[in-house]
Amino acid sequence: MTCHDAREQFSARVDDALATEERAAVDAHLATCADCRRELQRFRDTVALMRAVAPVRAPAGFVDRVLEAARPAPWPRRLLRSLFLPWPVKLPMEAAAIVLVAVGVVLVYRGAPEIQHSALVDSSAPAMRQAAENTAPQAPAPTPSRETDAMRAMRDARELAKAKDQAPAFARAQEAKEAPEPQVGAAPAEKMDKNVAAAPPPATPQRPEALSRDAEPQTTPERRGKKDLKDLQVARKLEAPPAVDTREREMTSQYLRSESAPAPGARADAPVAPRAAPSVAGSSFVPPDVSGRLTVSDRDAVLRGVAELVARLGAVETRRVDTPDLQILELTVPRESYAEFVRELARLGRWQPSKEPPELPAQVRVVLQIAR
Amino acid sequence: MEGRTGDDATLVDRLRRGDPRAFEDLVIAYQHRVFGVALRMLNNRAEAEELAQEVFLRVHRAIGEFRGEAKLSTWLYAIASRLCLNRLTSGERRMTRQGEETLTRLASSEVGPAEEMERSEQETALHRAIAELGEERRIVVVLRDLEGLSYEEIADALEIELGTVRSRLHRARMDLREKLERFLP
Repeated sequence: MTCHDAREQFSARVDDALATEERAAVDAHLATCADCRRELQRFRDTVALMRAVAPVRAPAGFVDRVLEAARPAPWPRRLLRSLFLPWPVKLPMEAAAIVLVAVGVVLVYRGAPEIQHSALVDSSAPAMRQAAENTAPQAPAPTPSRETDAMRAMRDARELAKAKDQAPAFARAQEAKEAPEPQVGAAPAEKMDKNVAAAPPPATPQRPEALSRDAEPQTTPERRGKKDLKDLQVARKLEAPPAVDTREREMTSQYLRSESAPAPGARADAPVAPRAAPSVAGSSFVPPDVSGRLTVSDRDAVLRGVAELVARLGAVETRRVDTPDLQILELTVPRESYAEFVRELARLGRWQPSKEPPELPAQVRVVLQIAR
Repeated sequence: MEGRTGDDATLVDRLRRGDPRAFEDLVIAYQHRVFGVALRMLNNRAEAEELAQEVFLRVHRAIGEFRGEAKLSTWLYAIASRLCLNRLTSGERRMTRQGEETLTRLASSEVGPAEEMERSEQETALHRAIAELGEERRIVVVLRDLEGLSYEEIADALEIELGTVRSRLHRARMDLREKLERFLP
């Protein structure tokens, strides 16, 4: 064994951790090597220095602090900690998340009218198809689904009644005009008023497509105007092959009758969320005989021209919806003046009728969508 | 540290049964040893206390996993050593290693100002020499020469071979012998 080999074993030799043979070999070398004996002694002294170090003591109060840290906090505190700690990080993140979700929901809802109408397509289409198939003049009692739809429409009707309250003179005139309308039965309306004692009677029923408004809790007037137009278009797509025109009338009649006899259990007195009254003066539900789009360059001038036309031809403006970029006029034009009315419209702007049956009633109900 | 004491066996049983006083007894019994290892390794009292507290909290949470094959003290040293080495090598230390001033305070950590003045140069040099060892050698020296663990217990605690323990310990002592040459008789 060399000196190097022997000194590699010094640490274990000091700790008496060598196997018997190893120890014998090291001891044999030490017996013949004074340098290694001296080196081993210095090694022992070094280890002795180390082992003479005073032991360290934990700081005062250490045990109490450990026990406190180990004690489980009450569950409300643990919950709050998990939710809000570290608060400089979690609170801003949670607040930002809430704001983002809210903004996202609003943007998606506003930016996607198909979402707003999806409820209409899903819920009203079957009922409307069923109604269209029923050709009897006096429809049987409304189905539960129609009753539900009717109650929704009643709510919108009550809102329109509020709007009418804000324009009482025009509304009274409009009611007088609507009185002879055969579709709106007076007796069912009275019956409905009894059933809906707590709510004001609906001034006018709404077209079925208005059902989708249930999905729109807050609507601004201009938004409402756009929505009315969209409702018209959507309903036209869903229900408006020309041959179904008479069915549409019957469906409307059924709809009105179902409205006047609300379903048992239906929340006739359900509170109506107040909202800004749209610029709808007067109302009548019967679907128009003619509808179309009048594209113009100067809308104000055209509105004046239409007003003059209405006065000259003995027509009546029964409804108006104003929005910043669209106006919807509902007019009643005598059949004998209708041809001239259309010619004059073509002079005022580009008239594109979307619905114009070959045979017209004595009083033609026309819906104009005036747009730039 | 030799052999598993009857006190440790009883303590482990009480801990497993959920005796509320058992954990307190464990902390009281081992606080100085665990804190000592942490202080020798980290050279910072506040950081050492934080780490020692974490050691006991881990024991508190994981006492059910203690199989009893090793001594309770070895298990505690294993946890403390692992946490120290992880902290030293992971770079997550919030307090940087201190210089000579800290080493001097470490040498005189339990004495008053007057005694501190009398603290020998030898002891200061000794603590500095330990602090200057590499982490893997330092933990072996601390466990062997300051805490008195056997080679086998060190191997268990650090999960290394016996030969590795012997080799690291020898290199560490050789370093210390050179640095403490002038203090040797």
